[in-house]
Amino acid sequence: MGILLTDIRKSFGSPPTQVLKGISLEIQEGEFVSIVGRSGCGKSTLLYIMSTLDPPSSGTVLIDGQDVNAISSRELHRFRNLKMGFVFQFHHLLPELNALENVLMPAMKANRQEERKAFAISLMEEFGLGKKLKSFPGQLSGGEQQRVAIARGLVMEPRYLFADEPTGNLDSANGNAVMSLFRRINQEQKMAVIYVTHDIDFSKMAERTIQMSDGLVLS
Amino acid sequence: MLFLALRHLLSRKRQSVLTLTGIVLGTAAYVAISGMMLGFQTFIVDQLVNNDAHIRISAREEPIEPHSLDEDFFGPEALVDWKAAPSGRRDNAYILSPRFWTERMDRMPEVAAYSQQLVTQVIVTRAKVAKAARLIGSDPARQAQVANIKNYMIKGQFTDIGIGGNRIVMGDGLLKQLGASVPGTVYLSVGKGQTQPFKVIGSFHLGVKALDDSTLFGALPDVQKLNGTPSRISDIAVRLHDVEGARELATSWNILSQEKVQSWDQANEGIMSVFTTQDIVRNSMTISILIVAGFGIYNILNMAVTHKRREIAILRSMGYESSDIVALFLTQGIILGVLGGIIGCLLGYGVCEIMARIPVADRGLGGNHMIIVFFPGIYVRGFIIAFSSASIASFLPARAAGRLSPIDIIRSENS
Ligand SMILES: Nc1ncnc2c1ncn2[C@@H]1O[C@H](COP(=O)(O)OP(=O)(O)OP(=O)(O)O)[C@@H](O)[C@H]1O
Ligand SMILES: [Mg+2]
Repeated sequence: MGILLTDIRKSFGSPPTQVLKGISLEIQEGEFVSIVGRSGCGKSTLLYIMSTLDPPSSGTVLIDGQDVNAISSRELHRFRNLKMGFVFQFHHLLPELNALENVLMPAMKANRQEERKAFAISLMEEFGLGKKLKSFPGQLSGGEQQRVAIARGLVMEPRYLFADEPTGNLDSANGNAVMSLFRRINQEQKMAVIYVTHDIDFSKMAERTIQMSDGLVLS
Repeated sequence: MLFLALRHLLSRKRQSVLTLTGIVLGTAAYVAISGMMLGFQTFIVDQLVNNDAHIRISAREEPIEPHSLDEDFFGPEALVDWKAAPSGRRDNAYILSPRFWTERMDRMPEVAAYSQQLVTQVIVTRAKVAKAARLIGSDPARQAQVANIKNYMIKGQFTDIGIGGNRIVMGDGLLKQLGASVPGTVYLSVGKGQTQPFKVIGSFHLGVKALDDSTLFGALPDVQKLNGTPSRISDIAVRLHDVEGARELATSWNILSQEKVQSWDQANEGIMSVFTTQDIVRNSMTISILIVAGFGIYNILNMAVTHKRREIAILRSMGYESSDIVALFLTQGIILGVLGGIIGCLLGYGVCEIMARIPVADRGLGGNHMIIVFFPGIYVRGFIIAFSSASIASFLPARAAGRLSPIDIIRSENS
């Protein structure tokens, strides 16, 4: 099924300046896609639109055949909760909760934290966080925090993982680790991963690269 | 969201405790002050209701108006311009047709008892000491049914006054001022007429100084004789089965009759308005404490919302809805309100318990401790005030948090 964007435009401000100028593209299920382009060309904007966080000014977004514009806010939230995971440049962990509780936050929304707990722990062990389950974000390194955030993005076993410069804040060793994690999950779970990056090496790891320039997709 | 709300509160322990303290103190103050003031009011009302009468029917005092004598002097047609207009009061301050009242009240189911009285000012003399006082003549058996005087007797029996024989009981304050004792003899005079000896057969202590210092009870025929007004009465004191109905009944009787009819609270409007003032002070004090506490909640939640923008955004991206975010912050306020309300009520109860043990001046039947009311309504109201001030105070920040647009936050944080 995948994600299908048709003639997406997005303007900001008044007078409106068009940031996305008519983008159509398709992302298949299980794809591993990078989005690259110069700063300010609209990468983040595009990612947020295809992940339903931001509505486009015009154009349609179909996810698994469903027009996200046509469904209720409640459905949209459910959709996000069950089908999508997010990883941002800043990890945004909740400082009051320990690592495991942070990872289980999406499951809590769906009232499935007990059911997802074993999976959350196995994810964290896999990410080398087995000894840090009970640690609070303040006690974790930047790389560890980012891995906790990724585990949180994956805990509901979503069909799509969106990442906006997930390695932007990490040193190259940690960045590499994150990227290989993405790759592995993508291959093992057939989960689509769509990430924005400024790093040429990381973008080359993708099966497909979406090259953007000034609000348009070049290739 | 309860789980996360609790974590938020615990992560700001000092702020939370401080705010909680504000609510606790506000609630406790309300409970304690209400208990004390209502205790005082209950005591006073008790005194007013039980020492006098639920309803008092008395002769209408008719002041003489400048022209009310024109007709008597000059006939109906005259137009009079007084150089010095007559003034004063008509003398016959008596109930003109007592039978009209007694027959009526005998038929009324609301009336529990009534007592016909002749109330008059007297000079009490013993040896060289003279005091002005108020002498109430009544049938002691009936009077004892209308008022609680029997319970306030320190010496002697109220009903021993009998129905004649110049026997009286007097307030202990008056007794002391006269240097009299029980039994003993004092001389009473009404100004005109003869001074007569009366035997003091008892004394009472109502706990209201004004009354204890100047009230005497005697038998109705004795007082009528002393006053030179046989078979006259000036007042009828009425006791109802239900004191609540006093005001309404008194008002309706008042319209129908030429006498003045007042319920106990109408007769003591001044004291009642003191109570109203007390209530206003009590409520406004509590409300101001809780407004301060409310502002505290508002403030810390507002700060928390600003501080937690990113986390709100990330929760939204995970599928938490706007209403979940509202609930997250509202819950925190409600937790503080509920907790503060409960602890405040308990603390207030404790303070009341302690105050109830404070000895104060002896007050007759009331015992010698402060009277504190433990009426459950006070606690319910205290809790509701705490709860609602906390909820209202947290509602605005919570709503603001719910309205935050996650995408704007993520965008501003991520670039
Ligand atoms: N809320 C907004 N209001 C006005 N302009 C905006 C807003 N959000 C983004 N823009 C503009 O849209 C353009 C694209 O922004 P976007 O964040 O998508 O770029 P980007 O490709 O992700 O850049 P970077 O690599 O620096 O993250 C920028 O010129 C930015 O100034
Ligand atoms: Mg960007």
